[in-house]
Formats: sequence, structure tokens, C-alpha cells
Amino acid sequence: MNYNWNWGIFFEPSPEGAGTYADMLLSGLLWTILTALASWVIAFCLGSIIGVMRTLPSRAAQAVGTAYVELFRNVPLLVQMFLWYFVLPELLPAELGSRIKQLPNAPFYTAVICLGFFTAARVAEQVRAGIQALPRGQRLAGTAMGFTVAQTYRYVLLPNAYRIILPPMTSEFLNNLKNTSVALTIGLLELTARARSMQEFSFQVFEAFTAATILYVMINVVVIVAATLLERSLSIPGQR
Amino acid sequence: MLANLDLGVIVSSLPYLFGQGMVFTVTLTALAATMGVVLGTLLAILRLSGIPGVWHLAKGYVELMRSLPLVLVIFWFYFLVPYIGAWATGSPTPIQVGAFASALITFTMFEAAFFAEIMRAGIQSIPKGQTAAALALGMTRAQVMRTVVLPQAFRNMMPLLLTQTIILFQDTSLVYVLSLTDFLGAASKVAQRDGRLVEMYLFAAVVYFLICFMASALVRRLHSRVAIVR
Amino acid sequence: MTSTPIPAPDAPEPHSGPDPALADEGLAKGPLIPPSKAASGEPMIAIDGVSKWYGAFQVLTDCTTRVSKGEVVVVCGPSGSGKSTLIKCVNALEPFQKGQISVDGTKVKDRSTNLPKLRSRVGMVFQHFELFPHLSITDNLTIAQRKVLGRSGEDAKRRGLDLLARVGLSAHAEKFPGQLSGGQQQRVAIARALAMNPVVMLFDEPTSALDPEMVGEVLDVMVELARDGMTMMVVTHEMGFARKVADRVIFMDRGEIVEDATKDDFFGQPRSPRAQQFLSKILSH
Repeated sequence: MNYNWNWGIFFEPSPEGAGTYADMLLSGLLWTILTALASWVIAFCLGSIIGVMRTLPSRAAQAVGTAYVELFRNVPLLVQMFLWYFVLPELLPAELGSRIKQLPNAPFYTAVICLGFFTAARVAEQVRAGIQALPRGQRLAGTAMGFTVAQTYRYVLLPNAYRIILPPMTSEFLNNLKNTSVALTIGLLELTARARSMQEFSFQVFEAFTAATILYVMINVVVIVAATLLERSLSIPGQR
Repeated sequence: MLANLDLGVIVSSLPYLFGQGMVFTVTLTALAATMGVVLGTLLAILRLSGIPGVWHLAKGYVELMRSLPLVLVIFWFYFLVPYIGAWATGSPTPIQVGAFASALITFTMFEAAFFAEIMRAGIQSIPKGQTAAALALGMTRAQVMRTVVLPQAFRNMMPLLLTQTIILFQDTSLVYVLSLTDFLGAASKVAQRDGRLVEMYLFAAVVYFLICFMASALVRRLHSRVAIVR
Repeated sequence: MTSTPIPAPDAPEPHSGPDPALADEGLAKGPLIPPSKAASGEPMIAIDGVSKWYGAFQVLTDCTTRVSKGEVVVVCGPSGSGKSTLIKCVNALEPFQKGQISVDGTKVKDRSTNLPKLRSRVGMVFQHFELFPHLSITDNLTIAQRKVLGRSGEDAKRRGLDLLARVGLSAHAEKFPGQLSGGQQQRVAIARALAMNPVVMLFDEPTSALDPEMVGEVLDVMVELARDGMTMMVVTHEMGFARKVADRVIFMDRGEIVEDATKDDFFGQPRSPRAQQFLSKILSH
């Protein structure tokens, strides 16, 4: 194999003018984290609502919840990304559409919304599974004490369901984080995109990808450690 | 707006979209799923083997793949495969492999990690008594795995393996980043050539939705049948 | 089964017999049984011609009975006879298609009825306790008082702890349900229901999920409650409890009320052959 390794490449200035290649990758990392966190907020809130809807007695609420999950789960993320970025502005009134297209950081906002809606479907499935895993008597007991449906969810079902689904929710969070890389197709300069452009400018393919790989692995480790600590702090004495 | 949608562009490009694009997507999905399940099962067995070094390696590989974005893995293999080819054949220069072969290797290697986790759960779900009973009959460890454990594990995990294959089907759209002509790639090329992004991307979304929706409905039915038998 | 007035507090409280301080206070801080609209004679629970179907399958057929203020009614019958379903209709946990139920004059099946409010006046104890696992015992006792009745945290806690003492579990106030035995959990569940000042208590097989050695401690609390004059409707197989404190026994089979008799009549000479059969089975072991 005749590949010319050059690990010093990270400290050479990038052709973008300001900073080194290392700075370039770190800025990518920052956008990855920012996009992941912002979209997770949407995914968590919307997903919880959709998931709860699928467990309500109302048939209509269940149908809306199911339709949402099926819709967002059965279209590839990349296609959804294109729909939000290329198609939606065209379908809106012309004025609004062009204003959206000219938005600074449009790829970022689009990615956040797209990932938020996409991941919400997966969060919803976890929330539903968590609520359905609780003994039926818990809902009855809450109701029997005079709680309204909303209070039963707020004080009885959700606190327990979220605890049960913490491990799979951690995976969903990490999936969401990894999925931010799909947004490079609409021009978001996140970590994978930055590694790719470093490779294009410097021809040091493997150094660039190795660095990106290490950074992704590090985020994974940090998230898993944080989730373990969270799980420990939320654990209930006497349970399992 | 929706009123000036041009459906003609969809109709006229159907042969291209399906004849080339969808054939590529389905072929890639089927081959990568088959090879991925085989490799994944192997990884699962290695990981459960308890052989020092071996199970660490298997675990490390699975964990690494699962912590990386697919897009990055696609880039990795796209550039790595020619060098691996050169190393394997002793060639002094990187070997050019076709775009399809590169994509196939990538998806096989990537999805194998996910199939491995499913198969690991499947193997572990078989009661220890089954292995004990087979060993008591005089079978070797390999025979027990092949004739007793794996058939049951496959059967139990079939719905999950198929669901993962549907995800793989969706994931293949990411070969877009290599400018390959899968179904989405074909739609995208027509969209850009004719300036008809709205029609083509909406149509692609509808096609993906219908296929995945029907496939997952079938898997659900299979799942309930398996559940009753057990 | 002993007849100690108040169950002895659990270990590790290092003293024998009831805590004198608690015994003195008793439930002086607020009556155990709040005043109700049900004046003398008017029934506390009136069940009139209740029928219920799951799809085409009829689970309750034309059930009618009355429970007066202060009365203890035991509902028994083979499993699947509809007794749990009937008791859950009383606080509308189960909807029913025909008939009517009134609790203290309030109709259960009526659009204008505020169901959460009605339910807050009806205490219910479940087979599997259904304490909220993520809340401490104190929080389990207070959450509905605060969120449903709007009591202050302080009032709710005082009342909750009073009742916890009454069921002999003061030492466990800060623990979580998972740290208590089944019998202890069920006693907490009874205290939790009582904390809401219910006018009626419903018990849905309160001892059938318990290990045999824990049945007594729960029944003792229930006996005590009955003697204090609480109106109670109890689904149970514990005929000893029925003999001791029940005023009436209702026997159900296949969704129907087959027998509705005073305790003495029921145990003396059950009229229906089905009830006779049931009694001979259940008393033989």
C-alpha cells in the first residue's frame, strides 16, 4: 500500500482562510452537536405528545398518532430532508417560500425541523411502549383517586414510562445525533461534511475520516456515560 | 403551488426510475441484507464465543459501526476499498472497484453490525436447556449451534431481521452522496435535469412510503403468526 | 386472625403494642367518615338494573342492590362471575350500557356528573395495591389530596401520616413502595384511599395477591374500618372476614346477582344451589 500518511495535516491551515484543518473539524463537531440537541428538543416534545395520543382512549387521537408514526417512519430520512428543503418552500405561498429560502443558516433550521419530526416518530413509539408496559391497574388507580386523564399521565404514567424507556431513548438520541450527517446533502457543514471537505482539499482521506470517527466515538461515550448517571439518579429505591 | 404540478415528467421518466433506479435499490438491498445477515450471525457467534481477543474484536467492530453515521461509513469504504483490494491482490496501486460493488461492501459491513445485535439477542433467547439437551445427545458445540440454536434464533428473530431490512432499504438512498443512480438518485437526476424538484421528490416519497408501509404491515402479520405459534 | 384494634406497628419500631400517642389522637384531626348527603334510610350506593357487555359478550346482567350508610357488603362468587366488574362500575372505572348507579345521590352515568370529583369521594383498594412506584410512601399518600382536593402540602402530609400511623406503618413514611412487603403495601394503599375522606370504600380482592401470612394484617385494618362505621363494598373470598363484619353478602355468578342476603341467612341457608355449591367449595379448604 502506498498511501502517504501525514498526521501533521490537522495543524496546517485550511484553504478556507481562517484556522487549521483541526479548527474546521471542530466547527463541524459543534454544528453536529447543536443540530442534534435542537432537533432532540422537538423530537422529545412532539414524540411524547404523539406517543401519548396512541395510548389515549379516544379512537381519533389514536388514529392521528398512528398516521404520524407510519408517515414519518416509512419515508427515508434523506427524502424527508429534500422535501423540507427543496419542496416545502415551493408549496408555500411564493412570498413566504422565497423568504424561507433566503434565510441565513437555512440548512441548519431545515435539518433541525426535519430531524425533529423524523425522530419524533421513533420517540413516540418508545413512549407508547413505555406506557403500555405499565400495569393496567396504575391507570385505574390514578383514575379511581379522582385524577383527570391529564393528571393520571402527568403524575402516574409518564414518570414511570420515561424511567422504563430511558435506555432505548438513549439509543434514539444517538441515532438522531448520527442522522445529523444526512443534512450534509442540503449543505449543513457538520462533522462528516467537514471531514469530507478536508479530504477534498488535502487529499489526506484517512486522517480526515479517522479524526471524524474518533470524535463520533467520543460523543457516543459521553452520551452513554451521561445516560448511565441519569439512570442512576432517577432510579427508585426498592425497584429491580 | 400544487396547481402547476407537472405529472408528465413523472410518467415519462418511469422506465428510468424503476428500470434503473429501483432495480439498483432492490438489488443492493437484497444482496446486502443476505450477506449482512450471514456476516452478522458470524459476528454474533464470535461475540458470544467467549474466546479472548476474538469476542473483544467482534464486540469492538459492532460497537464502532453502531456509533458512526452511515454517511461517514459510506465515505470510509468508498476510499478504503480500493486500498484493501490492492493489499489483497498485492497490487502496487489502489484497485478501482465499481460503484455498485463499493456500495454493496459498505452496506454489508455496516448492516452486519445491526444484524449481529439482533442475532445475539436471538441466540441468547434460546433457553440454556436446549443446548444442554443437545450436548447430552452427544452433539458437538458446532452441531448444537447449527442444528438447534440458530434455526430457533432465526425463527424468533425473523420479524426483527425483516424490519431491519426495511430500514436498510430506506438507508440505501444515502448512496446519493456517491452520486449513484439508485431510485432516489434517478429521481434526483430527473428533477435537476428538468427543474421539477417538487414532482420528483414527492413522487419518490410516495413510492418509498407505499413500499415500506406495505412491507412493515406484512412483517407485523408475520410477527403475530410467529407469536401465536410460540 | 387476631382482633387487635390497631395492627401492631412493624419492625423496626422498637416498642410493643399500639403507639399510645397515636392511639390517643386517633383520627381526632378530622373525622374518618365525612358527612354525606345520604341521610338515614337513603342508600349510599344504589345499583339499579345494571347490564354491561364487552362487544356481544354480556358480563353483567340486570344487577340491582343497595348499600346503606355504614353498611358492609361482601361480594363473592366464582372467578369470572362479574364481581370485580360490578364494583368497578360503582366509580365508573368500567362503563356500563344499561341501568344506573348512584353514589351518595350522584348519578354515575350522567353527562353532567363530574367523574373525577365523584371518584375522589369513593376510595378504592386494588388487588395489586397499585401504589405509584416512583413516589415515596408519603407522596403516595398526599399526591391526590393535593392535586385533586387542592389541600396544602402541609395539611395533606399531616392527614397522610395520621392514616399511615393508623395502619401501623409510620416507620416507613420515607420509603418507596418497592421496599415494602405486599401486606404493607396494601395497608398503605388503604391509607391512601382513606386520606381522601371517602364516603364509601370499595375493595377489589384486596388480599388475593398476598402471601398467606400477610392476609391477616390487611384484614385487621379492614375489620377496624368496618367497626368505625365506614360504608364498604368488598369483593373477597375471605369468608372469615364476611362472617366477622359483613352486614350482607351478595353472591354473583355469570354476571348476575344470584343471592343478596343478610350474613346470617347467607351462611345459614343459602337459597340457590349455585351459592350452596360455592360455599361448600370455598369453606372446605
